Amino acid sequence: MKKQTEDNKKDNRFELLRELLLVDDREKFAALSEEIILREKLSKRVQPLVDEKIEDLRINFPEYFGPTITETIKIQIRDSQDEVVEALYPIMGKLIKKSIVSEITKLSDSINRTVKEKFSVQQIVARFLKGKNYDAGVILEQVFEPFIEEVFVIEKDSGLLVGNYTRGSIADKDMVSGMLTAIKSFAEDAFSKEHQNLEDIKFDNFQLTIKNFKSIYIAIATSGVATLAFKDNLADTVDNLAEIILRDRSYLSDEVKLNALIERHFIDSNE
Amino acid sequence: MIAKKVLLVGNFGVGKTSLIRRFVLNQFAEDYISTIGVRVSAKVVQYENTAIKLLIWDVAGTSGDEKIPKAYFLGASAAMFVFDVSRIETYLNIDHHLESIKTLSGLQNITIVGNKKDLLTQEELQLVVERVSVNIDLITSAKEDENVENAFLELASQAIK
Ligand SMILES: Nc1nc2c(ncn2[C@@H]2O[C@H](COP(=O)(O)OP(=O)(O)O)[C@@H](O)[C@H]2O)c(=O)[nH]1
Ligand SMILES: [Mg+2]
Repeated sequence: MKKQTEDNKKDNRFELLRELLLVDDREKFAALSEEIILREKLSKRVQPLVDEKIEDLRINFPEYFGPTITETIKIQIRDSQDEVVEALYPIMGKLIKKSIVSEITKLSDSINRTVKEKFSVQQIVARFLKGKNYDAGVILEQVFEPFIEEVFVIEKDSGLLVGNYTRGSIADKDMVSGMLTAIKSFAEDAFSKEHQNLEDIKFDNFQLTIKNFKSIYIAIATSGVATLAFKDNLADTVDNLAEIILRDRSYLSDEVKLNALIERHFIDSNE
Repeated sequence: MIAKKVLLVGNFGVGKTSLIRRFVLNQFAEDYISTIGVRVSAKVVQYENTAIKLLIWDVAGTSGDEKIPKAYFLGASAAMFVFDVSRIETYLNIDHHLESIKTLSGLQNITIVGNKKDLLTQEELQLVVERVSVNIDLITSAKEDENVENAFLELASQAIK
């Protein structure tokens, strides 16, 4: 038998991804792989094609599998509302659970909308990933590389945004910062947890990490599959940033200066 | 730009949300607000040639028995107490309410606003003014858009004092 080299494994990335996803959708995948075989015949260089295919999958995943999965999720929501609440709101869920449960119909509607509007590949894939082998995890991490999407530095009491970084653009960031602060207060109040950091809050397509410091707190939204190394690195970066800001308080009154600092800090150390 | 957190407090139904709705466009859904008991809206106002960004916290309730985190009151630069001129129970205990807001927020001055002036005649309003134990800063109607802007400008002026 031929020895499996690193490269060989790489060549088989799509094969593995296919294995992960194949179960429910043989037909679509059969068509896909036929196409690939055809392409392979046309080129000896398989690697770029595989990459392209993965990229194609990544982009077109909702189109290829969206309806099927949406339907499955709909049924799951109907049949296991409690679990869905747990799954979607690991932290906040517990706290707002009571009110959510009573409004579960409304919630399921909005979840369905969310699933349609912002279809999240990594979440769906994570489902398939359960119990699969390590190689698959590695592959998916490569495909769904974690990114820092947003960093908010917020004054603790007032909830006023003192500085931020975003990969895209956010409307109403001041309002979001205020509401986030309110939700945070509400959660801390409910659990009398003032001196602890809230755990990560996972939404369907991104994750929010909150870290408390003396007069500020820092909220970071990340997308993709966060590896342990990524999380460790992120935690260090956040601590360092907070230390700099709290040592030189002029940052708190100079948004432009702070924004530049945040950007330097996060982009240099995490990308 | 200067940004300030300001509070809107007062009994249920006096028109706090309506006043804010007149003044700014809101993004967050009502049902969400009833869960955590507050909504934050943002609006930039011009006050004496200075642009001030107001982050308006619409806090549901003021007394201790409501499940409102005390933290909502922290870090505010100004507060508006709203009552309904047509409902005596919304200003009957005004002293008590004001004291508790002052204690929670650490603010000295609170802007007092009587809303729903459209429901009363001039004579009836005069009676209310006499009956309310504190000085009313403004009498507004969110419904007919009377004095709403002024109420928030007053709040802004308090915030930058
Ligand atoms: N006639 C009249 N009704 C008002 C006015 N402001 C608010 N309302 C009504 O009073 C009710 C309660 O208003 P809302 O803004 O929800 O009060 P909140 O509980 O203080 O936020 C709603 O039915 C409003 O339409 C006003 O100026 N005049
Ligand atoms: Mg209201």
